[in-house]
Amino acid sequence: MGAVTYPNEKVVKFVDYNFVPVQIETSDTALMEQFKVSWTPTIIVLDPDGNEVHRVVGFLAPEEFLPTFMVGKGKYYFNAEMHPEAQGMFAEALENYPNSDAAAEAVFFMGVSRYKMTHDPKPLREAYETLTAKFPGSEWTKRAAPYRLIPG
Amino acid sequence: MSLNICWLNDLAKAQASARTAKKPVLLDFFNPK
Repeated sequence: MGAVTYPNEKVVKFVDYNFVPVQIETSDTALMEQFKVSWTPTIIVLDPDGNEVHRVVGFLAPEEFLPTFMVGKGKYYFNAEMHPEAQGMFAEALENYPNSDAAAEAVFFMGVSRYKMTHDPKPLREAYETLTAKFPGSEWTKRAAPYRLIPG
Repeated sequence: MSLNICWLNDLAKAQASARTAKKPVLLDFFNPK
């Protein structure tokens, strides 16, 4: 990550704009244990109270890091019930990185966020249909399977 | 000009900054070796 992803200009600007970044060495066994980290890199999005929002283990190239943590920032807003802001982050991931591994998760949470904001279940079914069409092998398509039963 | 992420190295300070800035913390565990 330190050799390829973190020096990337887009990554630097994205991280500094969207997060407060902190790096902890594996020698800090107390924090490693607190967060149950057993492999690196492990990157976790936390809210300011220390609640975990999103976690990724393993290397991410810049073109995967960016949409992955756009989704992570979106989930931070989602958990705070800030749905327009959450949907903005999910949309940013989908528009700029539509073929990334994170895009399916963005579709899923976009649908859920739209449902939570409007109480209209149609966005859930739309999310399922989009996932089925674009990401048929994704775990997020399987997780959205119950939404196929929502009337269109 | 090279760009670098401005990493903090203290989680408590990062959480305090996050509260003020109304941003989440990006916590990276890394092995420097």
